[in-house]
Amino acid sequence: MNIYGDYGNIICLRKRLQWRGLDCEVAEVEAGEALPKNFDMIFIGGGQDRGQIRVAEDLQHKKHQLVEAVEDGLPALAICGGYQLFGDYFLSSDYGQLPGIGVFPVVTKATQTRMIGNVVLQSQAFGTLVGFENHSGATELYDNARPLGKVNKGYGNDPTKKFEGVIYNNGIGTYLHGSFLPKNPQVADHLLQIAATRRSNDLELSPLDDSLAKKAALIAQKRPQ
Amino acid sequence: MKHSAAILIAKTILRLNRLTGSGGTAMPGLVAKKLYPDILKALAEINFPDGVIVVTGTNGKTTTSKMISDILTKAGISHIHNRAGSNLERGIIATILEHADSKGRCKARMGLFEVDEAYVPSVSSQLQPRYIVITNLFRDQLDRYGELDKTATRLGDALLKLNTKAILNADDPLVASLGLNLKDDKRVVYFGISDYKGNKTEHDYALDSVFDPNTGDMLKYSQRYFGHLGIYSAPNSSFKRPKPSVDLVSMLKNDQEGSKFEVENEKTKLNLQLPLGGTYNIYNALAAVALAITMGLEPKAVELALAESSAAFGRMETIEYDERKLLLLLIKNPTGFNQIIQTYLKSDLQKPLWLIINDKLADGRDVSWLWDSALEDIKDYAGAIVVSGTRAYDMALRLKYAGIDKNVSIEPELEDGLRAVINKVQVGETVHVLPTYTAMLALREKLVKDTKGKEFWQ
Repeated sequence: MNIYGDYGNIICLRKRLQWRGLDCEVAEVEAGEALPKNFDMIFIGGGQDRGQIRVAEDLQHKKHQLVEAVEDGLPALAICGGYQLFGDYFLSSDYGQLPGIGVFPVVTKATQTRMIGNVVLQSQAFGTLVGFENHSGATELYDNARPLGKVNKGYGNDPTKKFEGVIYNNGIGTYLHGSFLPKNPQVADHLLQIAATRRSNDLELSPLDDSLAKKAALIAQKRPQ
Repeated sequence: MKHSAAILIAKTILRLNRLTGSGGTAMPGLVAKKLYPDILKALAEINFPDGVIVVTGTNGKTTTSKMISDILTKAGISHIHNRAGSNLERGIIATILEHADSKGRCKARMGLFEVDEAYVPSVSSQLQPRYIVITNLFRDQLDRYGELDKTATRLGDALLKLNTKAILNADDPLVASLGLNLKDDKRVVYFGISDYKGNKTEHDYALDSVFDPNTGDMLKYSQRYFGHLGIYSAPNSSFKRPKPSVDLVSMLKNDQEGSKFEVENEKTKLNLQLPLGGTYNIYNALAAVALAITMGLEPKAVELALAESSAAFGRMETIEYDERKLLLLLIKNPTGFNQIIQTYLKSDLQKPLWLIINDKLADGRDVSWLWDSALEDIKDYAGAIVVSGTRAYDMALRLKYAGIDKNVSIEPELEDGLRAVINKVQVGETVHVLPTYTAMLALREKLVKDTKGKEFWQ
């Protein structure tokens, strides 16, 4: 699923490794295809409701492997539709209940509100984060779930609670899509560092010049919702 | 209020607008609708004895409509057309009123209206068009419409309710699938390209609709031209690209200068030449040709009109400024951006480039689409690049991740950007200017002012 801009996150992760003289292999897994045997990170993007049906069904075959990986501390990033399917289930308005795989302790239900616009949030782990959301599903966090951040601008998980996303082990779920990692490179490096450490204990990622990303993020904060 | 009174008031506003030189083209339409909500229906009922044509789709509405208008003119069919691109209901009402007398009557035999995808259901129920042309459906301004699938469903429902002929792009699976629901085959005319020659994108992140509408499976492509346009079939159902009845069977030339191609239909064969570059313009021309054939117009008129066609508002126009040439290439979404990259930038990695990215309502508030555009295809860009607009830094960041950061200067303000770009260009040289919609309007306004009001477009 790639509703739009989700490839920006892949481009970002790969480029930040390359700038440090490292490389990675990106294995795109289509519905019906098996997951690779070994992987260092999981990324799943957003999709349209209709595309989600097929993906939801397919994810059930991969459920065991994905849940185990995140329980084991593998870094994962799930955005929008992917975030919803990584929860317990998604009760959609047009297609009934889509089963999730329960990686994250969350559940999503369709609403009549289309939550669209620029988002700014304050995250304990990552500081200020910016992005754009576009969803009509509202996600509830279970009691043992920690949100990614508190919403200063925008909707976030649901229209009433002013929290956005989820952090569970080293997995992150969020509605902030598109250029999420490029404009929030601290999150990209956090995920990459965990993956690198799991590979080799003493692999430390060197700092990069992120002045351009900071400027872009600062401007995004000031744009109207 | 009676509709006659609403017409009178709206026409008075139109006249006042013209006297004061105010440019608000849609305002009188908005007022007329407020005063008499069914005004469009009332106007359609007393006008256009030869019918109404609606042109919609994500990309190419304006250019396709302009081509259709040129063909109608050559064929001697009087028509009115919202050529300024005001394609919401209010703009269409204003266009009709502008050409109407005080009773709301126009002389034109036909109405030709470009209509925003989201407004097609409401506008067509009032206009009852005889023909609807759908160019393509891509991701564009999802921040306004929500989802592409929803837009398509609404279009499909509208087609079912109308007694109209649908002119559909066979190569776009989402558009083609709209025709499947129309049980009566005679109501659908498909156009498509069976012989393709042209550039292909190396990385295509802008795939939008590649799913079988029956099963949700990924479609298989034997050929893919750009975005999700091409020749496809479903692996596990009967869904496949319908055979186009208006078919480009032989592509003789396709480059940035223009194209030459042959189009076949069961009754006729046309030799066409287009002085506009880019495969996307060939699709625009095919849509116009398919409509003309369906209407039974003379092939000669079609060939002549297309051979003389020129670009529409802000799309491929050259503007002289300070002895330099600014070639304006509007960008709105990844597919359009990729086409410009393939057609213009990739063939000349030296020419100065000015990217102006705004995120106002009419551009789309979300700039994520920049990440789906294949900037990696021009990673060896060696010319000077200036980036401007409200999201200049997002553009610069995207270029950096594509490996382009050596010759980039960031000038968020339009004025500073223009100065910077002029300083980087020799006299007589051409700059490729890629603005989003509101950036294009602002740039035009500035250039008109600076060249003392000389208008360089019709």
